[in-house]
Amino acid sequence: MKKFNARFQPFITLLARLLLGGVLLVAGGLKITKPTESASAVAAYKILPANLAHVVGYALPWLEVIIALLLIVGFMVRPAAIAGGAIMLVFTAAIASVWARGLLIDCGCFGGGGEIDPSLAAQVHRTYFIEILRDLGLAVTALYLYLFPYGKLSFEKAATEEQ
Amino acid sequence: MAKQQGKTQDNTTRWIVIAMVALVVVTGVVFSMMSQNNKENASLAALDGTKLKPAITATIDPENGSAIVLNPGQAKVIDIWEDPQCPICKNFEDANGDYIESLVRENKATVRFHVLSFLGDESVRAANASFCAADEGQYLDYHHALYAVQSPLENSGFWSNQKLIDIATTIGIKSKKFSDCVSKGSKIALVKANYDSMQKFGVTGTPTVFIDGKLWQRKSADFNLAEFKAAVEAA
Repeated sequence: MKKFNARFQPFITLLARLLLGGVLLVAGGLKITKPTESASAVAAYKILPANLAHVVGYALPWLEVIIALLLIVGFMVRPAAIAGGAIMLVFTAAIASVWARGLLIDCGCFGGGGEIDPSLAAQVHRTYFIEILRDLGLAVTALYLYLFPYGKLSFEKAATEEQ
Repeated sequence: MAKQQGKTQDNTTRWIVIAMVALVVVTGVVFSMMSQNNKENASLAALDGTKLKPAITATIDPENGSAIVLNPGQAKVIDIWEDPQCPICKNFEDANGDYIESLVRENKATVRFHVLSFLGDESVRAANASFCAADEGQYLDYHHALYAVQSPLENSGFWSNQKLIDIATTIGIKSKKFSDCVSKGSKIALVKANYDSMQKFGVTGTPTVFIDGKLWQRKSADFNLAEFKAAVEAA
């Protein structure tokens, strides 16, 4: 395993960057043109007070896109991975909290969002589960990038003393 | 020496990038907020040229959840449960609002409006103002106006008491009694009574409509006048 990682690490890092960066780019890009929708979606979690939730809703798409761009071009990968992993953990906690409180909402992860008809409860719970798995998976990807930030096709190269 | 310089440079780059990220995010937020404000204020233009229609006496019915009753005593009774901030209620109003008004004005039905307020502070304020407008006999005019300017974002700060008074002034409700009623929140007890009656009548969401006490369920994807009209006429 160690040998495997030593050999393929630069490629795995590239793949991880494109995966996490790609998901964040799509998620942020879809929301960035619809700030109102994004603000409503964050408010629907009923975690933050309304006006703070709106600010977060406005900021989130921009943050996602910037982190995505840094990861994709391979610049400041380690800090970007920390930020990306942190927001994935926040998303996981938010969805878990919504589930635990019995709210039925669309996560608004890729745009949209808001409350859902009670008749769709079973379907919504399954969606929560999948979303949590997805976000935890992406958090693990971010952890890998934190440990091994230097890979192929990257803007920055490992400083010699770090290798 | 060279190593140390590399480290400092690295740190500088890091701070520059962090500062740029923060700048872009802050700009994005400010920009979004400004465009939201502009959109809301521009929506008041939708009220330009609106003329106040003849007053309709409104009463409050404590037996029926303290709803606003228009044109009482008709054989046909329609109960409409709405929250002023609810976007789907706006769709219902856009499709059927004029028809419902004609039912009232042409003595075809008694209509009871249950003004709910579970979507937050701005719903409470708007509901209070709605009861104030009912006192003036202008409930329907105000109701149309609220939905015409409704913000796409709930609790965005748009429906302050002052804005609720401005909306009324724009359409021609100018009495001091009305503006005092709005700014003092004089109808809060009624707002609460309407909200509290939801459970008793089995209402869990908005818009909910009962035609002669029977829950109306739409079959089409969107609200359309033909479907609602047929349901009312069949009852």
